[in-house]
Amino acid sequence: MDGGDARKGGKAWSARSIGSRWQHRFFYTLIRIAGRRAARVMVVFVSLYYVLFRPSVRARSRPYLSRRFPGRNALLRLWDGYRITVEIGKVLVDRAALGILGPGQLTVRHSRREDLLERIREGRGLILATAHAGCWQFAMESLRMLETPVSLLLHREEGDVDLHIFEHRDDDAAFRIIDPAGPLGGAMEMLQVLKRGEVLCIMGDRSMGGDRSTVGVEFLGGRVRIPITPYQLASATGAPVVVIFPYNSGPGNYSLLVEKVIRVPEDLGRAPEAYRPYAEAFIRALERFTEERPYQFFNFFDMWNQEPLQ
Amino acid sequence: MTTVEKLKRILVEDLNLEELTPGDIDENAPLFGEGLGLDSLDAVELIVIVQKRFGIEIRDMEEGKAAFRSVQALASYIEGRLSGG
Repeated sequence: MDGGDARKGGKAWSARSIGSRWQHRFFYTLIRIAGRRAARVMVVFVSLYYVLFRPSVRARSRPYLSRRFPGRNALLRLWDGYRITVEIGKVLVDRAALGILGPGQLTVRHSRREDLLERIREGRGLILATAHAGCWQFAMESLRMLETPVSLLLHREEGDVDLHIFEHRDDDAAFRIIDPAGPLGGAMEMLQVLKRGEVLCIMGDRSMGGDRSTVGVEFLGGRVRIPITPYQLASATGAPVVVIFPYNSGPGNYSLLVEKVIRVPEDLGRAPEAYRPYAEAFIRALERFTEERPYQFFNFFDMWNQEPLQ
Repeated sequence: MTTVEKLKRILVEDLNLEELTPGDIDENAPLFGEGLGLDSLDAVELIVIVQKRFGIEIRDMEEGKAAFRSVQALASYIEGRLSGG
């Protein structure tokens, strides 16, 4: 959804990794030879290089960090940039290690597993609204514990050298991917997933563009546009929306925070404004997440500077 | 009322296409993008509308792509499904 072939909107972000192909290969090889911990140590140094000598990398995290930590001096801004670069580096290493070395490398803790199972038992499907936080792909893998098929709305950028967990190995992915750039923006596939009572996961913090599929909400003191897709689907199907954020809770440990359940009334129709309260509820939850774990929200584009489409 | 006419009326009413009347809709024009100008947001609504108004669930992706090409294509698809085709 979020654009799709039906409407070519202006997406302001890129899903491509900042690292080059050889850098990814270097880390993949290091993980194979020396293990995950060695690669995580290497991240600390590589991040330092990026932050000190690649201003473009610092610039990508600045819009978020300057709003999350307003009024910081230059040194602290550098520190913030370093911290978030290290954090995403570690997550990428963990993700690759999980794919290369297999399960057992990491553990995940679910705070409210029973809640999720209860929502699934309602039989109207389950929409998980999440954000680019923690190791979200690992969280998807961990949703195997729900014993229900999981689909993820995900646009894969052409030429992205950063591999998904399942692409490192031959087994099936724990989740099925629905491409929002596919026919009808993936609408038919998404509705079928929910109709079958399965789980559909959508990034609630990023849209592929198109004003009509987004609403403007306040986030960290500025206006951002976020997708209404999860709430529109919920209204069309009666599925509950559960806001989840995965995060790194310690060395080798991840937690899946089940933040809240959003209930959307049925038949709200096609006017984006009708979905604003639910988008607001999501963004407040994300704001709480960034307050508690500021270096685990991986937003590397200026989401406060998205021009409305005419 | 033919299925095409019924569909045009439903599109205007259920999708709240306030700027259009059923008579303004070219049944052969594309529903999405150029033509009627529906977008992916409307796709969800349209799929639900077809299900609610005609009791037809479109499961096959290829069928769906073809059916949602235009009002005429959708009408033919609905008629085919209702007649057991």
